[in-house]
Amino acid sequence: MGERQSGGATPGRRRAHPDRMTARHPSAPQAVLDDAALEALLSAAVLRGHRPDAAGEQRALAAYRAARAEGAHRARTRRRDDWRPRERRRLAMSARTTLSLLLASLTLGGVAVAAINSSGPTEAPEERRTSPSESASRRSVAPSAQSPAAPRTSRPDHPGTARDTEAKCRAYDEAEGRGRAMESTAWQRLVAAAGGEDEVAAYCAERLATAPARPGGGRGTGAPGDGTAGNGADGAGTPGAGTAGTPATGKGQGAGSAGSAGSGGIGGNDGNARNSGKNKD
Amino acid sequence: MARGGEPRRALAHDGELGAAVARAQEGDEAAFAVAYRLVQPGLLGYLRGLVGNDAEDVASDAWLEIARDLGRFTGDGAGFRGWTATIARHRALDHLRRQRVRPRSSVLEQDVLELPDPSSTHERALESISTEQALRLVRGLPRDQAEAVLLRVVVGLDGPAAARVLGKRPGAVRTAAYRGLKRLADQLGAAGVTDDGPGTLGEST
Repeated sequence: MGERQSGGATPGRRRAHPDRMTARHPSAPQAVLDDAALEALLSAAVLRGHRPDAAGEQRALAAYRAARAEGAHRARTRRRDDWRPRERRRLAMSARTTLSLLLASLTLGGVAVAAINSSGPTEAPEERRTSPSESASRRSVAPSAQSPAAPRTSRPDHPGTARDTEAKCRAYDEAEGRGRAMESTAWQRLVAAAGGEDEVAAYCAERLATAPARPGGGRGTGAPGDGTAGNGADGAGTPGAGTAGTPATGKGQGAGSAGSAGSGGIGGNDGNARNSGKNKD
Repeated sequence: MARGGEPRRALAHDGELGAAVARAQEGDEAAFAVAYRLVQPGLLGYLRGLVGNDAEDVASDAWLEIARDLGRFTGDGAGFRGWTATIARHRALDHLRRQRVRPRSSVLEQDVLELPDPSSTHERALESISTEQALRLVRGLPRDQAEAVLLRVVVGLDGPAAARVLGKRPGAVRTAAYRGLKRLADQLGAAGVTDDGPGTLGEST
């Protein structure tokens, strides 16, 4: 655009507000008036006519004194009163976002740890290793036939499942009302096991009450039971996804259909944490 | 060239204003008087563009609210300009609602256009027009353009701050200010340069 730097200053032409007007255009000879110059001139023209108004100032000062006297100046800042520069406000906001993300991940992490612990660090690794292959073969044959029909968690002869459920119930107690943790895979499994979201509280109360009676001798057979519960939940979310781990819900389902309780729990929570992270954005 | 980044309009007194406001918030009455004197000219200019001759009354109302809510404000000198402009604007809109008067007076470009000596450039034209004439010129713009121009030029707000005062997106306000200024330049060009001026007035973009 037509900026002129022809050097020839025109001193004295801009009388009022010299500090503002000469800022960008020391010369700008004639005619081609860019926005900055026009703004400066307009501003000068409007402000030039200002006459100090002593009475108005006194009224304002009186109002100030009155407000100060009655303590109005200690009032809380509302959102519309916060005129800090944008960067700082945005920084504050991003700090808040980061914090909540951190909290969410910690909560989910807690659920994941609970799930890992529940599936039995007491179990011997060899025993556990056998179970996935068993259940995987079973599951891949007829995944949909088994899962809705027979919720194995109701079977009394699966101590591993029982302990797992207890752990989830405890996690449920702790995480209740804390948002995203309740959407996790573990939670969905728990819902599936209880037979409905409204049933969970009652179900858990019953479980936890009877928990000490069960010594919880963790045997490897606990794993398939959990695999079933997991698959039931998965079936509810995405029907038919149980057999082939679809990328959307990812590892959780793949591992779940493999039937290993431990890895199912980890994978499920892992996938869910990633999902919730995505949702936050 | 000054189009792109829109740096925050650094008014010379913003630092002083910020300090005065901070002291006033702690109870320093003299500092509040300083803040008043720094802010009032721009605020009044903006209000005169909105409500014309009732600007003093509206400004007085606005200052009562500013004085009362001063403790709530958080920010620097530039922020204080935006905050006070928002309050003043609300008072002005209340006033207009009561009056059922449109802020745009149906002006009369002749008034402006017959102004100065016809052979001068519009720069000179603007220098010689009165405050009243300049404001009438601005008020001849569509309302959104007039407000955007006044907030930028007279109150001294940057784009985002002006947008916040108006409750609009920064892009919309920037466009409005740009169009308003362009239109003013056109009018001034038509007014000022009749015979011997260079022919590019107001259309240099």
